[in-house]
Amino acid sequence: MTTRTDALPTQEMTINMGPQHPSTHGVLRVILTTDGEVVTRAVPDVGYLHRGLEKIGERVTYAQFMPFTDRLDYLAAMNCNCAWAWAVEKLAKIEVPERAEYLRVIVCELNRISSHLIAFGSYTADMGAFTPFLYGIREREHVNDLFEMICGNRLTYNYARVGGVSGDAPPGFLEKTKEFLDYFEPKIDEYNNLISYNKIFVHRLANVAVIPAEEAVAYGLTGPNLRGSGVPFDLRKDEAYSVYPKFDFKVCVGTGERGTLGDCFDRYMVRINEMRESIKIVRQAVAQIPDGPVLAKVPRLFKPPVGEVYFRSECPRGETGIYLISDGSVNPFRLKIRTGSFVAMNIFEKVTKGLMIADIVAVIGSFDIILPEIDR
Amino acid sequence: MEALAISLVNAVPLLAGVPLWAVTLLLMVVVAAVILVFALTFEGVGSLVLRKVAGDIQARIGPNRVGPNGMLQFLADGVKLVLKEDLIPANADRLLFKLAPYFAFVGSFAAFVVVPFGVGLIAADLNIGIYYVMAVTSLVVIGVLLAGWSSNNKWALLGGMRAAAQIVSYEIPVGMALIPAVLIAGSLSLQDIVRSQSGLLGIFGWNLFHNPFTFFSFFLYFTAAQAETNQTPFDLPEAESELVSGYNVEYSGIRFGLFFLSEFGDMFIVATLSTACFLGGWNVPFFNAGTLPWIWGNLFSLGVFLAKAFTMVLIMMWVRWTLPRLRVDQLMRMAWKYLVPLTFVNLLGVSLWLLVFKGKGIPAMIASLFG
Amino acid sequence: MGLKAYMNDIVEAVVTTAKGMRITARYGVDPREEVTLQYPEERWEIPEGYRGFLHNDIKTCTACTMCVKTCPVDCISLESVRGADKRMVLASYDINIGRCMYCGLCVEVCPPKSLKHTSGYEMASVTRGELILHFIAEDAAEIKARVARQVAEAAAKAAEVAKAGAQAGPEAAEVPPSGTAEAAGAQASAKTAEVPLSGTKPSDVSSESAKAPVVEPKAAKEGENKE
Repeated sequence: MTTRTDALPTQEMTINMGPQHPSTHGVLRVILTTDGEVVTRAVPDVGYLHRGLEKIGERVTYAQFMPFTDRLDYLAAMNCNCAWAWAVEKLAKIEVPERAEYLRVIVCELNRISSHLIAFGSYTADMGAFTPFLYGIREREHVNDLFEMICGNRLTYNYARVGGVSGDAPPGFLEKTKEFLDYFEPKIDEYNNLISYNKIFVHRLANVAVIPAEEAVAYGLTGPNLRGSGVPFDLRKDEAYSVYPKFDFKVCVGTGERGTLGDCFDRYMVRINEMRESIKIVRQAVAQIPDGPVLAKVPRLFKPPVGEVYFRSECPRGETGIYLISDGSVNPFRLKIRTGSFVAMNIFEKVTKGLMIADIVAVIGSFDIILPEIDR
Repeated sequence: MEALAISLVNAVPLLAGVPLWAVTLLLMVVVAAVILVFALTFEGVGSLVLRKVAGDIQARIGPNRVGPNGMLQFLADGVKLVLKEDLIPANADRLLFKLAPYFAFVGSFAAFVVVPFGVGLIAADLNIGIYYVMAVTSLVVIGVLLAGWSSNNKWALLGGMRAAAQIVSYEIPVGMALIPAVLIAGSLSLQDIVRSQSGLLGIFGWNLFHNPFTFFSFFLYFTAAQAETNQTPFDLPEAESELVSGYNVEYSGIRFGLFFLSEFGDMFIVATLSTACFLGGWNVPFFNAGTLPWIWGNLFSLGVFLAKAFTMVLIMMWVRWTLPRLRVDQLMRMAWKYLVPLTFVNLLGVSLWLLVFKGKGIPAMIASLFG
Repeated sequence: MGLKAYMNDIVEAVVTTAKGMRITARYGVDPREEVTLQYPEERWEIPEGYRGFLHNDIKTCTACTMCVKTCPVDCISLESVRGADKRMVLASYDINIGRCMYCGLCVEVCPPKSLKHTSGYEMASVTRGELILHFIAEDAAEIKARVARQVAEAAAKAAEVAKAGAQAGPEAAEVPPSGTAEAAGAQASAKTAEVPLSGTKPSDVSSESAKAPVVEPKAAKEGENKE
């Protein structure tokens, strides 16, 4: 492809932003066609991390699939665990004890905080400021300590069970959670002072990859990507599940404060503000949590009734929807998982036309994708 | 250098028969070797300090296993780099690939020759000091471009192109920001510039406090020069998270080591130029270092100079770990739309000031009020 | 762009940079802000309930194979034979901790609670074979042979007693079989108790025994799944 601009013929370059790249948040391959520094076409090529989780789901039982949901989005493993549990409970109409639901909400929101910390940290690291990443990791270690207390593991929790959670919070867990929240809340202001409103950072993110609200809805974006475009849709409020109706929190929406509504900066700020809202939710949950059992009686070789169900929950990266078909046996007949990162890849090609290569990195970071979720 | 050679021949009877040019040449080689050792040591230790400072800022410890407190880490890194396999990509342009690191290193090291370390400690007090530094550091561009092109890698090419655009664009603000110091001193020679800041005013004799325009000049120079050295926020050519190390990507072993060292060398040059031109150079406060005996004068002034230069290097590292990086069009915009007009306005301001106030700075005027 | 916006830009850049630099300076200077744990000299205090390496208490294990069936990645394998007292005797119990994903499902379903997580996490090794933990040191074939002998002896004794009982009369026949069965059972369990627990030292067992057990319990598992 040669274009003649006045007297100098130029040629478009095809560059491979390969699976091994420091900023693609995993093994994402983007095939860039650029005219100098300006990208004319960016096609994402996914599948480098495909492990056949959905097929594995057809061979294991409902309880055995729980650890595999950990690996679906390993930075928000609690959310994925609970999504699977809620989906199966919806299918089999199992009553979950209230204490278990409160514990699930607490760990899901804590995991939302730690996932957004990584999103924030890796985004700023992609932009060249390596320091906030380490601050985010340090905060995340505290959350990991809390999770280690409650379930024994720091990354792949396998905490939720069909019918409740695997174990009650040990003594001291709720106090430690409150301590962590008190310690963490002022840190968000520190991050804003350090990097969020830094002129260079704002300039890198503002007006880049603007996604208008109608387009965001048309392409099926979910989660902070959708809310960053101004659409106030949050599954925890609009299709409230579990005990979320009992909590008072705001839905964080992009406001176009430093650029156009729906640009990368809005999506970034939505995540920062969501961390604050999660802190609010966890505080309320810790205050309101009732006593009681944490696991309902579910038969060991659990056979749900024949049927199909689609359950979606609000994970940090968007909506994790689980479409589950059961044929009455111990293994699911078919399960399909729809994740927020995968649908974000839909709009990638459209939104990156005309951007510069540095902006591609900004776009990938603003969508907060994670490859295990895309490739399953 | 010739004067030194003559005095050496006179002092040592053994060298009586040797022609003068040979002694001069030998002296030059020795001095260059000394400076090379200093440069390499600084660059090695500088890389270690960079990592330790990074660790401190990022709430962690930097290297601390090799040697006490990690102080020998740079030696370990150096040995590792030397022992690595010499990889040249298959379709790379071999000659250019091998040549590129040397251009970058020579471009950075050759500027060490005019650095005024002390009262009498300067390898060559060229009367075109600053002009020479600006000219010679431009060799780095050639090195980076060669590296980017010859690697036969599109990412390297992008990095090389960006580097060329960046370094060439920022040369203008760098030069313009240094001219006020030249105007005040009346000479391009760095020793003259440093001497122009000496005197009984001590710290207020610095060019930094001479007039408001030189004050801004210092910050403009520091910002523009940080771009010259490819430091964050201007480290696009080697943006790790975008270009996977840019023009460096295909280099390994000691070739990469040379690029890496030249980066720290450039940092030192920037620090020394800003110290010499704006922060009083080797002037010991309230002292006339020339009046002390040769060895003490040199020692004190060397110490003062290095202290100031290392502080500037630390500040550069501090900024590096705080700020994100600029996108290439924003970088060019900053150079051409912000730094260039500002430095021109500054230059105009300094020239007018010197004309109106006959070369006197604010501290000098206040001092003359008190007699 | 007007002059006001231009100057605003410059001022904002300087102010935000200064704010950021103040924060990093505080971190750079404050020595309390170092959170690195210098492993291996300093170690993290493992909380209770940590899901580390698995350990099976062979004395209490009943060889029910619940753990084998529950494991999502098939990392537990065991061989067992029915002893003279009609209870299962473990011939081998292996856990492949290289395959294990530390999900804890096996620990949850274990009825006698003999399988537990320890707080161990340090067993990096150079070969995969070292990552298979053998909880029974004795060779599986030997155990099976011994139990087979015991079963045969018990059966022979029972046959004798039955013959003697048939000659002596119906009442005497009731007592000896249970007595001999108990004795045989006590012998068998004493034999298994003698075997030293070597769960955490896999190095001296050959890899052949690691290959053999995979066949039998897997077959049992597949049979269960097909139901």
